Amino acid sequence: MGKIVIVNGSPRAPKSNSKQYAAIFKEFYQAGASEADAIREYAVIQDEYAAIAQAVKDCSDLLFVYPLYADGIPVVLLDFLKYLEKHVPANKPQVSAIVNCGFFEPEQTKVSLSMLRLFCRQAGLPFSSCLSIGSGEAFLTTPLAFMVKRKIKQLAKALQKGRKREMQVTLPLPKKSFVKASTGFWLTYAEKFGVTKEQMDSMKIEGE
Amino acid sequence: MNLILSDFPLPELGQGPDTAVVDLSALNIHHCIGCFGCWVKTPGKCVIRDDAGKVYPLIAQSDRVIYVSRVKYGSYDSIMKTMLERAIPIQKAFIQLYRGETHHMQRAVKDKEAVIIAYGAQSPEEQAVFRKLIERNAYNMRFSSYQVLFTTKQQAAGLVKKEAAKWEKS
Ligand SMILES: Cc1cc2nc3c(=O)[nH]c(=O)nc-3n(C[C@H](O)[C@H](O)[C@H](O)COP(=O)(O)O)c2cc1C
Repeated sequence: MGKIVIVNGSPRAPKSNSKQYAAIFKEFYQAGASEADAIREYAVIQDEYAAIAQAVKDCSDLLFVYPLYADGIPVVLLDFLKYLEKHVPANKPQVSAIVNCGFFEPEQTKVSLSMLRLFCRQAGLPFSSCLSIGSGEAFLTTPLAFMVKRKIKQLAKALQKGRKREMQVTLPLPKKSFVKASTGFWLTYAEKFGVTKEQMDSMKIEGE
Repeated sequence: MNLILSDFPLPELGQGPDTAVVDLSALNIHHCIGCFGCWVKTPGKCVIRDDAGKVYPLIAQSDRVIYVSRVKYGSYDSIMKTMLERAIPIQKAFIQLYRGETHHMQRAVKDKEAVIIAYGAQSPEEQAVFRKLIERNAYNMRFSSYQVLFTTKQQAAGLVKKEAAKWEKS
């Protein structure tokens, strides 16, 4: 194993689920790491592209942690990938990903991973491993959070051992129960702003 | 109504009164910040008050759309992708089963016949990934039918004209 750079691709990086998934990854990766400075973490909306690219020059693994946005990679991450393609590091770190999506099916993230693979091909970087997380918006708030943690641990181990893994995880619920639970999740979310179910259910767009 | 969204200015199309043409490159549209305000604070309305608020109502109202975009890594390139991410106020927070998968419920959004005119794809693999993306979009963006046409930037305008002319006839 070697040095790893984690890049958070969420448009709300400081408050993102991606940040939490990255923190879990760090914990497990650190446990097996030999160097204190082995992990560096950046966010595409907070850090200078040049600073991230500089760090990438000195790593063996590059891990993108991002949310699914409109069936693909968030535009804030897309913009960074375009920059990195123009500043490809000579050391050619291998690229891995943790992608989380709001919907139940982790399969919905597959296209975004194909995009990341295309980026790798066009930039000449090897693609290594990935973890797709379904129910990603709510997973860590449930008593079943340990299930996603276990997968992230497996990913950390795989990277440390230089193995390629392709994994996915979601809440172990029937889809109908997921739908019910998600309704509760969003109602509680809106309640904090004094917004009712009826208001959330509005058919109006821009007030019309 | 009909809507043409493009990531570069198109020449005059001579379209009918029922067709809106939007050049996204001329608008000021910030990227989505993922706050979910449009679902839980001001349902149906984005908290960022820029030009996106003029575009997503048009997307909702249209039953026929043409989207013209450069392709990058099998994705829409930044201009179109930024707008599509900013269109989530037209959906509700609530999730339902739709064609066997979990998807958000929609507000007053019409089902659409979509034509996606894509330029700049570098390989058959990239085209295949982009096609998959549109297949996924069809669920979340309510495309009742769709066509993906790959072309060059030079020829994109001509294709738009041809596809829009079909609307005028039908
Ligand atoms: C603009 C926007 C688009 C989204 N598109 C999708 C989508 O296509 N599929 C999906 O499952 N979740 C989608 N989501 C949900 C996010 O993937 C989900 O909330 C995720 O947990 C956010 O992660 P983050 O906190 O790391 O940004 C979208 C969210 C936003 C704000």
